[in-house]
Amino acid sequence: MAIKPETRLCAVTFFAKLHPGDVCGSNGLPLTPNSIAILGRAQRLKEVQDEHLCQYLDVIRGKHERTIVVSEYVGCSLEEHVKRHPPLSLAQILRIFYQVACGINVLSQHYLVAHNLEPKNILIAPDGRLKLFNYGLYFMTKGGAYVPFPVGNIRYMAPERLLGLNGNVKSDVWALAMMVVELVLDLQLWPKLKISNVVRKILAFARSNNVLEKIAREHQCFEAYQNMDAELRQLLEKCLHASPGQRPLPRELLAHKCFADILQADREREKAQEAESKQQLESHLPPLPLLLRCPLSQIYHLWQLAGGDVQAELKKEGLIRSEAPILGLPQIVRLNGASVCPTRSQSHLMDDRVVPLKLHALLQRLSQLPACVYFPLLHSPRFSSQHQRFVLELQQLPLVIRERDIEYQFHRVRLFARLLQAYPYTAELLQREAAIDIPPLLRGAVWAALLEVVPNSGYGKIDKFTPTSTDRQIEVDIPRCHQYDELLSSPDGHRKLRRLLKAWVTAHPQYVYWQGLDSLTAPFLYLNFNNEELAFLSLFRFIPKYLHWFFLKDNSAIIKEYLSKFSQLTAFHEPLLSQHLSSISFIPELFAIPWFLTMFSHVFPLHKILHLWDKLMLGDSSYPLFIGIAILRQLRSTLLDSGFNECILLFSDLPDIVMEACVIESQKMYEATPKSITHRQHALRSQPPQSLDIGVTDVELKHLQLEQCPRISAKDVQHLLLHSPSDLALIDLRSVVDYGHVHVPHSINIPFATVQLGEQRLEALNVPQLEAQLRGRIVVCVSNIHQNAVEFSNFLVACGVQRTCILHKGFNVLHSIEPNILISN
Amino acid sequence: MATTPRSGGAGSGTAQRPNGTSQNKSCQFKLVLLGESAVGKSSLVLRFVKGQFHEYQESTIGAAFLTQTICIEDTVVKFEIWDTAGQERYHSLAPMYYRGAQAAIVVYDIQNQDSFQRAKTWVKELHKQASPNIVIALAGNKADLSNIRVVEFDEAKQYAEENALLFMETSAKTGMNVNDIFLAIAKKLPKNDGANNQGSSIRPNGNETNRPTNNCCK
Repeated sequence: MAIKPETRLCAVTFFAKLHPGDVCGSNGLPLTPNSIAILGRAQRLKEVQDEHLCQYLDVIRGKHERTIVVSEYVGCSLEEHVKRHPPLSLAQILRIFYQVACGINVLSQHYLVAHNLEPKNILIAPDGRLKLFNYGLYFMTKGGAYVPFPVGNIRYMAPERLLGLNGNVKSDVWALAMMVVELVLDLQLWPKLKISNVVRKILAFARSNNVLEKIAREHQCFEAYQNMDAELRQLLEKCLHASPGQRPLPRELLAHKCFADILQADREREKAQEAESKQQLESHLPPLPLLLRCPLSQIYHLWQLAGGDVQAELKKEGLIRSEAPILGLPQIVRLNGASVCPTRSQSHLMDDRVVPLKLHALLQRLSQLPACVYFPLLHSPRFSSQHQRFVLELQQLPLVIRERDIEYQFHRVRLFARLLQAYPYTAELLQREAAIDIPPLLRGAVWAALLEVVPNSGYGKIDKFTPTSTDRQIEVDIPRCHQYDELLSSPDGHRKLRRLLKAWVTAHPQYVYWQGLDSLTAPFLYLNFNNEELAFLSLFRFIPKYLHWFFLKDNSAIIKEYLSKFSQLTAFHEPLLSQHLSSISFIPELFAIPWFLTMFSHVFPLHKILHLWDKLMLGDSSYPLFIGIAILRQLRSTLLDSGFNECILLFSDLPDIVMEACVIESQKMYEATPKSITHRQHALRSQPPQSLDIGVTDVELKHLQLEQCPRISAKDVQHLLLHSPSDLALIDLRSVVDYGHVHVPHSINIPFATVQLGEQRLEALNVPQLEAQLRGRIVVCVSNIHQNAVEFSNFLVACGVQRTCILHKGFNVLHSIEPNILISN
Repeated sequence: MATTPRSGGAGSGTAQRPNGTSQNKSCQFKLVLLGESAVGKSSLVLRFVKGQFHEYQESTIGAAFLTQTICIEDTVVKFEIWDTAGQERYHSLAPMYYRGAQAAIVVYDIQNQDSFQRAKTWVKELHKQASPNIVIALAGNKADLSNIRVVEFDEAKQYAEENALLFMETSAKTGMNVNDIFLAIAKKLPKNDGANNQGSSIRPNGNETNRPTNNCCK
């Protein structure tokens, strides 16, 4: 396999062990496929980043339990390197020894063991740096339990592993020493021996006092053994001690004095290089493409956007071969259920070839972009370049297109990555950019920033283990929560969700676990699968912002108020629909509780929730109400034609909502609705209300339930009068005399005493061109007798007038506005 | 026993009249499912209404509504089914759904003793609070797992007899006894043309009030 110098990514593939058909776990549910379990476990490996380890990027499930692992790749394997440059000098060997030990040491810091160290799994970059490759196989397959093949090459396996003792980092130390022995003695261990004999040899070492000497004698290298550098020899002998306890730990290895010389030499060389480096950069070295300086996760994401398909690459290499399914049918099925199948095809055997993912096209594609796109400058004025125009043009296109446009995503990812690096100082800028759109790659971190999360490592201190009375409920809810998703259905996903829920309950003694909290947590876990703390803190901030007090043990007052407000806002924006629904007794209590209690996370699949919450995060606590209305509006014609049964059936099985339309619609309504209209007693407040606001406890539940239309504060009326009078239609219901005495300029006087509200038509009011005067405006009913305003506003709703509301505290409150807004005679 | 649920009518959300034959009597009944969470209430309804079974049926929050029509002899019976949330906290919503119901299925899980105890409390509550003529069926669900059962068939059977309940062990997964239990209920319900026919309201919380005044989500 020829690996090009620009290769950074590669894929390997294997099959997970198949469960015997039709077996269920003790809970009656089917067993989780092993490939899903692997997928869940492997996520953690993505977080392990070190210069001596190839970074893991992705795990993909194919058909029939095929698992594909995408990871970093550099240079060539040690196996090839040795073939190309034989024999290696002692200094080179020591460098290899040292760097592999570094890799093992980092792994053990992450509580990982490689257990498959062999020259094939060690990569050497052209600059001599060395990285461990495929080191996560043992971990992701749960020590090989999920795969039908053993993990690790027998030749390098320590005796205790052959006896079944796994998971000890000292076994990796043995394997490393065996590789070094091969290099030092310039030999291949037992090249012609059968596996069973190799096993016998290694087990025989258990009784030997000096394994190294024995190996040397067996391979006719005793002389070389004797001539070996004494310190190195002692170290290797120690590493190859039959008892793991006697072998050094990786960090002890690193401190060994036989590495002192090469380390010293390297340090000096580095210093010398540093001095030269500037000159070199400017002169002869070909510059590294800018893209390759970006994080690998971004490169891989862009590679996929550019049409990269890992499965297709594997097919090209012949690693995935498809065969006609008919060839796999059983030839005989016995009555007892056993069947005789054709022998398994060769294509199902383990093939550990490494397939490079070609970056050439992607590099080409992005090479034209100027450096300022790769490394955006946040605080200098924007250059009104072509690229800026390109970005602005694309922002006119639908979100689905933007999310798949590679160049656009490149701009966004680079920009947001920078913004996130500088967060919280960039919070404002981040908010502004997030309002345009959020790049899917960075969504988890962007959400956390929008929710003003600042990690404080408090999560680790929360008790997630002590049994509580809600455990049973959590236990039965988790295996039902968004289980179509591979991550959330994996055993690791379940474990993490359980920890998050228990932690949330423990951290909130005033609240309890309500079914639905699981759905609410799922999007955060999905986005921050490897960062439970960020997931937790996001949830921790999200709930008070949008669901303040919803999780009280007795939340009836909060839910009732919320749903009543929802009814009012429906009447405000969709008067006719609201009339119809209330006439058939189709009340929000019957359908909207799961909507709001879970912020729609129980009613929509994850991919829809993500886009919905992208916008939700930017709004305040009232935003979800508008999402609810946008859903009603989208189903408007069906609902208007339906009776109670059909309506409730429609919502029991929510039809396909077009999420982008829903988001745009809810945003429009959110922006067109004065803040006081959405006033709720139980919403979380950032500042206390002022005199012209609606007071916290002014409007009680009974008012909400009696009044079809919401109330507006004097402050919002004043604001509308001053800043956008054309958006306001003020209907003054007082008598002609009172109106003549004092009134708001341009208000319409319809004395309540003179009108007949029996007939539900605007024309019945006999006000010329009233309909035209109200259309498209916020219609505020003002009276000094509150009941009059209520009745008149109900009449307007019945006539289908949009955006009708009532002035809170009536006309007299307008007297207290300074500067005066009234005209008096 | 050639009567099988007609599917389709419910899913499409239209109140179709099966067959359209005029000599058939038709009734509609409001039925409510109650029981501990994760015992398989939603799965029973899904099996009955759509003939489907989802291994990972999502939890129910608040309640879900479905309808299904079956024929018994010369009568077309339409079930209007309220499938409620199982978590104890949602208990206060339940009266809204069982008030005015003509039938109830109280479900427990045969591998879970607690769920059987919970079923007993539901039966008690229904006897006390629901309509006096309500037909109650007890369903011991997950009968496909009878090799690891905890609640013995005879124990449940005896309890059902003492309390005049219909009783069956069911399996939403295999479909065992699912249609049968609904059918048994339909047979037991009075099918005079009057009260239950057509006009009967399925709205939760009785017929008159527009807004439920009982304690939602308390």
